Amino acid sequence: MAGRAGHAALPCYSSGKVRTPAALILVTSLIIAQGGCRSLPEFGLPEQSPTFENFKPHTSRMVDMSEPGAALNVVRDVLDGSGPWRWTLQRPAVRVKVGLRKDLNYLIDFTLPEVTFQQTGPVTIAFSIDDHVLDRVRYDTPGYKHFEKAIPPEWLETGKEVIAGAEIDKVWVSKDDGARLGFILTRIGLTDR
Amino acid sequence: MMHGLIQAFAALFSAAATVAACGAAGSLLIRWCGAKLSRMERAPLAFLSGAACLHLAIFAILAARIAYKPVWLILIAGTIAAALWRKAASDPSRPIERHWTAYLFGAIFAVYAIFYFVNAWVPEASADGAGYHLEIVARYLRAHGFERIPDNMYAGLGQGIELLFAPAFAFGRHSAAALVHFAFLIALGWAIFAFGARIGKPWCGAAAALLVFLSPVVGRDATSAYVDVGTAAIVFAVFYWLEIWDAQRDARLLLPAGLLAGYAYAAKYTAAIILVYALAFVAWRARRIRPLIVVTAAAALMAIPWVLKDWIYYQNPVMPFADEVFPNAYVHPIVEEQWVESLRHYELPSFRQLPWQVTVRGDYTEGILGPIFLLTPLALLAWRRPVGRRLLLAGFTLLAVYFGNIGTRFLIPCLPFFSLALALAIENRALLAILAAAHAVLSWPAMIPRYGNPYVWRVEKFPIAAALRLEPEDVYLRRNIGDYDRIVMINQNTPPGEPVLATGDLSSTSYVSHPVIDHFRSAEGNTDWDIINTGWAAVSQPTRQYVFRFPAQPVTRIRLLLTAGSSSIGKDQQWSVHELRFFDHGAELARDRGWRLRAWPNPFEVQLAFDNSPATRWRTWQAAAPGMYVEVDFGRPESIDEVRMEGADDDHWDGIGMAVARWDQGRWSTLADRFEEQRLAQIRWIRRAATFELRRRGIHYVIVGDRDFGANDYYADPAEWGLEVVARVPGATLLRIVP
Repeated sequence: MAGRAGHAALPCYSSGKVRTPAALILVTSLIIAQGGCRSLPEFGLPEQSPTFENFKPHTSRMVDMSEPGAALNVVRDVLDGSGPWRWTLQRPAVRVKVGLRKDLNYLIDFTLPEVTFQQTGPVTIAFSIDDHVLDRVRYDTPGYKHFEKAIPPEWLETGKEVIAGAEIDKVWVSKDDGARLGFILTRIGLTDR
Repeated sequence: MMHGLIQAFAALFSAAATVAACGAAGSLLIRWCGAKLSRMERAPLAFLSGAACLHLAIFAILAARIAYKPVWLILIAGTIAAALWRKAASDPSRPIERHWTAYLFGAIFAVYAIFYFVNAWVPEASADGAGYHLEIVARYLRAHGFERIPDNMYAGLGQGIELLFAPAFAFGRHSAAALVHFAFLIALGWAIFAFGARIGKPWCGAAAALLVFLSPVVGRDATSAYVDVGTAAIVFAVFYWLEIWDAQRDARLLLPAGLLAGYAYAAKYTAAIILVYALAFVAWRARRIRPLIVVTAAAALMAIPWVLKDWIYYQNPVMPFADEVFPNAYVHPIVEEQWVESLRHYELPSFRQLPWQVTVRGDYTEGILGPIFLLTPLALLAWRRPVGRRLLLAGFTLLAVYFGNIGTRFLIPCLPFFSLALALAIENRALLAILAAAHAVLSWPAMIPRYGNPYVWRVEKFPIAAALRLEPEDVYLRRNIGDYDRIVMINQNTPPGEPVLATGDLSSTSYVSHPVIDHFRSAEGNTDWDIINTGWAAVSQPTRQYVFRFPAQPVTRIRLLLTAGSSSIGKDQQWSVHELRFFDHGAELARDRGWRLRAWPNPFEVQLAFDNSPATRWRTWQAAAPGMYVEVDFGRPESIDEVRMEGADDDHWDGIGMAVARWDQGRWSTLADRFEEQRLAQIRWIRRAATFELRRRGIHYVIVGDRDFGANDYYADPAEWGLEVVARVPGATLLRIVP
């Protein structure tokens, strides 16, 4: 209970080393009060924004697996991955947008790998736009394939999306884990005629 | 592997150096105060008091913008050297009695301490720790000092403990910060134990220390770069110093108590309530004004720098709160209000469930104290002793502010007081040992799912491989941070310094080397989000036009004001103005650079109603109420007979009332209080307008989660938005706004 030497009789509440910053407290209170009462700011006219009446977006109608955003257009059966190609399952499909023109071709670049072909043998692939089958093609050999064909304009509607798909009749089935693979997809979509 | 080990030990050593510097600063303070302390209590009190002092030095370094590694080294090494040079002696502690309970207490402590230590050492992956706490530290370090952080309102909170993370983080990165916080837990446990010894009941101190130390929410919090356990240690140290002062009656001892009370404010606003306890206690015991002034002045020394920082950077001394009182451009009042409201409820169905939830279940309030704390009411039996009364009063003082945020961890500052009171109430050494042992069993991570929510926030594993970085940091973080792939994608594909707008939530932002703007954390983010949403959400687009007609007359100042508020609609209903246009005989008045624009509330964004963009709008960002207005001062008389306001469906309600008024001979007189409502056609190019405005606001990159609002629209046709895909990871896409 005793204070420091020399102050033993009375409790010592200040050593003299502590200054009372009453002015500091007052100034702070004023600052806070001032903060709540300051006048409102006013602003000048901002830069005027342009209109984009003539803005014609370049809408991609082709989904190229080498592009980072390719996965955004996948509707089904295209596996995630990186690089210029993707494994598909049985019914890969992507979503693409029809522009102003309706004279378009369906286009797909893909590969039937040697390793799956050995198990499946010749395969038939149906190429489709929405629910319409555009063609069915039988492939008797493995390797890189390109398919392109005109789409009947009545299947397309300006500015709307369509589903471009393909369906392989036989899939490769892994003997180890039962995984099922279709083919290797490089790009798929619509292209100008 | 060697690189990983170096990382691990860099974290450990930088944390240890920071902790040592705190201890050293505290030793100097204790020496100056002439406090007579036992060896046992000297160490925790030195660390905690020194933390307050060191934090102030770090504040000064950051304010001076000289936060470079050599400066940290000088600060830490200099403080330690000074303390070694002026080493003070301690009174010897009373030896601890060799009783079986002492061994039991020691064994329990050792097991949990090792367990916690390893968890604190792993790469930091906690939500708020790896999120805003360290994000702010990282940004200060990148800027070599304080800077305004307009995109994160949490930057306005006191960062008293985060500043101690700064030197540790500079050398040891994230887990060094968590280790510094863990040191606060050790100090807290130690101080509680020492306090028990001071009052002649070391076993009560030991049991109380274990009650706090083993509590699941305390363990999880203390092993993360959070601040709650640190805050608890600080407020307990205030109490401890007051007890020492009361025993020794040397005014200098009020200095550490006051400094720590101010530091409590710096650590967490609500903890400043301990100053009320301190002042009441000192007033009661001293019955003189001068000691109160000493405590207040010392507290002010610690707290006022934070008040000034917020006032200077954010025009709000208590940022991010009280934004209606201190209008600023950084936090919208409606967001603050909704946030504060959510913290009061946590979607808890009934407050009657609260005791059970915070102690046993943890379904809503994130974390549990442990079922043993259901016995807390027994602590009231400690009222029969003077020290028990003081403990209970301090505990209840801190409990008073808990209901502002009912998260379990916000009870942590009360725990030391109620634990000590409970131990004093029970007092029996064997019973206390059984209690501590039961708490140890019930708090063990594997036990918790047997009675609590299996996913409750707690320490779960013993990740020694990750702590030593034998498991690479990247691998550990990928496993433990859901957004880690997104973070890496941003870091790898965005030019340095570019801010990124997140259309959804992005966690662990301290690992992102870019400013992240989201929809919640700032006024800027609220508005950016509103702009991009306007691109796809028809209800936010300008499809309504309100036309006010009146006889043509010269007008110098004109206001559009709200005359009927939304009280019948709800407090979340805003009023907004997409564009405000003025006409004379059918011709729009050309907008002039000389116009002066004003609004109330939210004057800071009034330009959005005059930028000619359909994608932007001025909003009240407060509940719509009569008297709110948008005003133009033309600077000269202009002939006007019609005003048109463009608005959106989502800020319209049945019975909305608006009027146009002119400034006329010193008062506002109404020109028209009726309007014709018209429908406007949707604007085909509004998506592009939205990204154009974002780009003009400095945002060039947007990260979109696949489940975010609007994601389908951005993904369906990025080109229509003026966006291009930069990179993609499962679940999210990084897009760039093309010029």
